[in-house]
Amino acid sequence: MGSLTVAICMGLYYWFARLRFGYTFSSMLLQPVCVAIVVGLLLGDMSKAMMIGAGIQLVYLGVTSTPGGNVPSDPALASCIAIPIAVKTGMDPSLAIALAVPFGVIGVFVDQLRRTINAAWVHMADKYAENGNTSGIYCCAFLYPALAGFIIRFPIVFATTYYGDTVVNKFLALMPTWLTHSFEIMGGFLPALGFAITILVIGKKQLIPFFILGFFAVKFLNISVMAAAVFGTCIALLYRGNSSKDGGAEA
Amino acid sequence: MSTDVVSSKITKKDITKVWFIYYMGVELSNSYERLQSLIFCASMIPVLKKLYTTKEALSEALTRHLNFFNTEGVAGTIIHGITIAMEEQKANEDNLSETAITGIKTGLMGPMAGIGDAVIWGAIMPLLIALFLPLAMNGNAMGGILPLVTYTGITLAISYVLCHRGYSLGKESILGLLQDGRIKELINGASILGLFMMGALSASYVKITTPFKLSILEGQPIVLQEILDSIVPGLLPMLAVFGIYIYLKKKGPRYNIILTAIIVISILSSLTGIL
Repeated sequence: MGSLTVAICMGLYYWFARLRFGYTFSSMLLQPVCVAIVVGLLLGDMSKAMMIGAGIQLVYLGVTSTPGGNVPSDPALASCIAIPIAVKTGMDPSLAIALAVPFGVIGVFVDQLRRTINAAWVHMADKYAENGNTSGIYCCAFLYPALAGFIIRFPIVFATTYYGDTVVNKFLALMPTWLTHSFEIMGGFLPALGFAITILVIGKKQLIPFFILGFFAVKFLNISVMAAAVFGTCIALLYRGNSSKDGGAEA
Repeated sequence: MSTDVVSSKITKKDITKVWFIYYMGVELSNSYERLQSLIFCASMIPVLKKLYTTKEALSEALTRHLNFFNTEGVAGTIIHGITIAMEEQKANEDNLSETAITGIKTGLMGPMAGIGDAVIWGAIMPLLIALFLPLAMNGNAMGGILPLVTYTGITLAISYVLCHRGYSLGKESILGLLQDGRIKELINGASILGLFMMGALSASYVKITTPFKLSILEGQPIVLQEILDSIVPGLLPMLAVFGIYIYLKKKGPRYNIILTAIIVISILSSLTGIL
């Protein structure tokens, strides 16, 4: 597909996913593994797109929890820009991560802009409520934020995807090895932030030993994710049974 | 005034409508000023229109629900159920004050957000993504499709049930339920599973190793990574996760500072050959 079509589609996808139409549905659309499906379809290389999407997903695996609705990092902007460029230029997944991360940070500011603009619709809704105009309130809750979101979100992804790959190609040719290696380090380091945030969100200090247990179950016994889920569930059930016998000392 | 109205005017379908409108737009109109107030008001419209037939009463009810509101959108739907029940009581018997309704809403939004953030976003979502991630790594589109379908399905089911339960339980029993030990146990169990999985995933996906070698004489060079591994495998990843955790715990959610720090450390350690 032509680069213009790809750029338009990615811009539209970013707008739609970030619209948050459908609470948990849209939050999954924002994830790199889902963005990768769209890129795979557009560029006709599903396998490559999914592999790069999976690589970027690792960075954002723990960032799913957003206490108070504040975005700690925007996986959608990161992957809507990085995955198409990475697939087109045949980039290494660890390099694609390095390309994605800065856009993830920019995405935070875009979201702050959106939530500032959205305050205008609340004031409009106050007036509609006075007049008992219910369809006006629906427009404030859905239509107006959607239109404003389009103006904020579409151009960033469209322009970067359309003009981006030539710039990135030139840059890659010039990149020294120390810089490439530092991107590899970054890719291994960044997931730590996501996991740390999730421990914080779960927020029970006295349960942290279970984190350490899971960590070393994989390090020493080499168990898979599925096996960890099975053992983790059993441990949670066993512990629950125990604490209720003790009269729930675990407040 | 309206004692002849005995039977409930609110049907199951009305509650489902409220739930669905809220689900579709929880974060859509979220603003810094009053967060989810707009979508809470919009989602209540089907019920309010049915309960309040005069323009004055409807306008009063709409304004009431434009007050500040914010919670987690899956666990929080129980608040919608309770609010519908209270609005119905207010409309039919007119013995309920506005402050009682707003009070219940603001009283419940904190605890429900706490439960939802830990269980729905902290445990279920990363778990489902991680479970199907091996498929994505092998280039299979199912690695994206399966988490999308399962997560949406599970959360839709939970929020639907909670919204209807909230209506049938009413406000007294819901306050009792929050004190109940079983809810605490459920949160505890989910937190344990979440933390265990986070540990397992950190072990697989946080990759920090050092190529640092020290050759003193001609003999075998001292390889730092081997020494670290002999102490305990995965020492550096573990230190990284807990280092960031402790910083966030002390300084609050300063994600951008940590992002910048990671970028700087990566470049410096690449230049010096430490990592």
